Amino acid sequence: MMKLRKILLTFTPLGAAAFVGGGGTFSSFGELAAWSRSSRREPVDARPSATAAAPRRHALRTTKRVCLALIAVEVATSLSVGGTFASFSAETSNNSGSIASGTLTMSDQVNAGTVCASVNGATQNNINAACDAVMALTNVAPGVYGGTAKITIQNTGSIDASKLYVYAPFANATLTGALTSGSPVTALTVGSLEGTVTNGDSLVVTYGTNTQTFIASGGTTGGATSISVTSQNANFSYPSGSHVSDSSSDTTASNTDCYDAKTTVPGTAGATAGTALNFNPVTGNPFCATALMYIQETTGGLNYCWSGKGSSPENSVGMCTAPISVTLSGGLSGTVTSLPVAALNGNVASGDSVLVTSGANTQTFTAAANAFFGATSITVNSVAANYAYPIGSTVSDTTTLTSLNSDTTDTISNFDTGHPVSGRIQLYPVTANGTVNNAATVQLSHYNTGTYQRTFQVGLYMPAPAGINQNPLQGLSSTFGLKWHIDQ
Amino acid sequence: MAYRPVIGRFLTRAWRSSGRNSGTWHLKTVLASLIVVGSMSYLTVEGVFAILSSESINSHSSIASGTLTFSNTVNANTSCYSYGAGSSGNVNSACDALFSSATLMYPGTVATAKVTIANNGSLDASDLSVYMPTCAKVTSPGAPSPGGANPCGSGGALFYIQETNSSWVPTTCWFPAAVGACSLTTDTLYFFANSATSSASALDLGPGPAHAASRYFIVGTELASAASNTLQGEEAQFDLTWHMSA
Repeated sequence: MMKLRKILLTFTPLGAAAFVGGGGTFSSFGELAAWSRSSRREPVDARPSATAAAPRRHALRTTKRVCLALIAVEVATSLSVGGTFASFSAETSNNSGSIASGTLTMSDQVNAGTVCASVNGATQNNINAACDAVMALTNVAPGVYGGTAKITIQNTGSIDASKLYVYAPFANATLTGALTSGSPVTALTVGSLEGTVTNGDSLVVTYGTNTQTFIASGGTTGGATSISVTSQNANFSYPSGSHVSDSSSDTTASNTDCYDAKTTVPGTAGATAGTALNFNPVTGNPFCATALMYIQETTGGLNYCWSGKGSSPENSVGMCTAPISVTLSGGLSGTVTSLPVAALNGNVASGDSVLVTSGANTQTFTAAANAFFGATSITVNSVAANYAYPIGSTVSDTTTLTSLNSDTTDTISNFDTGHPVSGRIQLYPVTANGTVNNAATVQLSHYNTGTYQRTFQVGLYMPAPAGINQNPLQGLSSTFGLKWHIDQ
Repeated sequence: MAYRPVIGRFLTRAWRSSGRNSGTWHLKTVLASLIVVGSMSYLTVEGVFAILSSESINSHSSIASGTLTFSNTVNANTSCYSYGAGSSGNVNSACDALFSSATLMYPGTVATAKVTIANNGSLDASDLSVYMPTCAKVTSPGAPSPGGANPCGSGGALFYIQETNSSWVPTTCWFPAAVGACSLTTDTLYFFANSATSSASALDLGPGPAHAASRYFIVGTELASAASNTLQGEEAQFDLTWHMSA
């Protein structure tokens, strides 16, 4: 009963008050609670102000019982008060109260391409797996500038994102053949498989809130359109467009989302394609394991190298080692202190050697200051031009190329194995070049407020390591993806 | 969260304080069950509705390497491809010979072979070079009594490499270096065979050809008119390797 009293007192302070009104002399609810803790085996006069006397103890116990009964009545009364009215009454009513959830959605745009909205994903779960490719570089040669693309990630929802991540997707594909609920499934018919599936891998099919995991019953190479699975009945009618993801992938270069294939279309018309060659095997995805990638943030002119050479350790000014390939926007003559160039598609670090070429004429300048993506001039140490270099002369950063040519770390394969979802890169807000605020509670503000969009430069480069025959990498194509994710 | 252990102690104490026959036993059981159910609901709710999220994937990005391959055609013979039959790793050591021992050389008679180097890859060649990894003396087929001299050696055969236009009109003499047409000079096979012996010491033929373009060469050799009798019945066997890089 002691515990019951406690519970009742906890829920019905009015009942406790009623007890006080009925003869109790507690000075506070604390005393009332202390009284209520007394067991029926305890002297009833454990009440703070009582004096010992057996008959009185009995009377008090009776009083307690009465009071507890009153408390119970009070509880019942309080629950049924809506049905009882006095002669006079008044009432107000707050009707139509509501609660509306916000939205957390995002968009993804490559350069000035089509804006890809997460809400338009075929899987109807706020995931859009079909955004534009970052880039499609063809006919790439070792040691020659590859390419870069700008990706704009925007919060299009009404709720701030506390987290923004970039990482490598698992080997994945899109269902092109629907599954029927209750029917056995022995193969998944998909669009071109991005990545390699190994026998025994777990393949998660997703549509809306429905998911089902199948087990690969054989190996499947990248680009395949069918994946064999151990037979099981579909738990839902997954329509075409459902997403398929190999949650066992991204552990080694051989099973990454990035996969190699021989080119079937030559880099130039009439030339040899990769399929014509007998010295460029794709086993182990060698090109994925050689091609270099970087991701540099450039939001609002602030730079941070998130991945690639320059990210570990972070470059002091947030500069990835990113090659440039631009032309002079103004001629050179006389004493040269800066090179007017088209908007930089890479970075030039202070002290780098910058080569200007026009026909057989070349001159190497030394950068006197850092120049980031988008800069239109490169400050150089003062020197006389050895030739009247005209507009259109090519400009490259040989220091950057030399540095990257020996880089075997910042490959696409290593990005995939080092940064799957479990090793995703959290993109803290950049507060200054090379500096982030890793205590920030918002990493992508809701639409139209604060920093609700962030921009990134993603670049690729095929290195030319000295003394290493790169012939086995001829005529290969590496295909891969990048995944961006925001959390509330 | 901080009060939850207190509730736990409270429940434990409450449970212990009464026997199974107690009137409050069933009530306690019901209340405890409700608390347990409530706890489970709390944990479940946290797992399902933890956060909102959104994702996008830039899929099927790609980087494709180009190709650097070429063909080597001697005279009007079948083209030999760097990656074709007999090749290994884009090196084909089975292309046609420039000269055959079936053609016996007489002093003062020049033998020539036209060589077309065609870049059929997708990348421009930044450089073309040529070298002679081997030049060895053997006895001419059917020679009854070879003279014993070495046509690859000093005093041996003459040799040149002439670049032409597509009409086989000389443009540059690469070896021995000269402007325009080549001339035959003493000891040239010997000099070439001993100077351009590997890719590292190859004779640099300059940039190109660009992709889909060709370059044309005439390779000539001769036994000098005043060749020694010791060269009779002797044959020079040599390889000529063409090397292209991007």
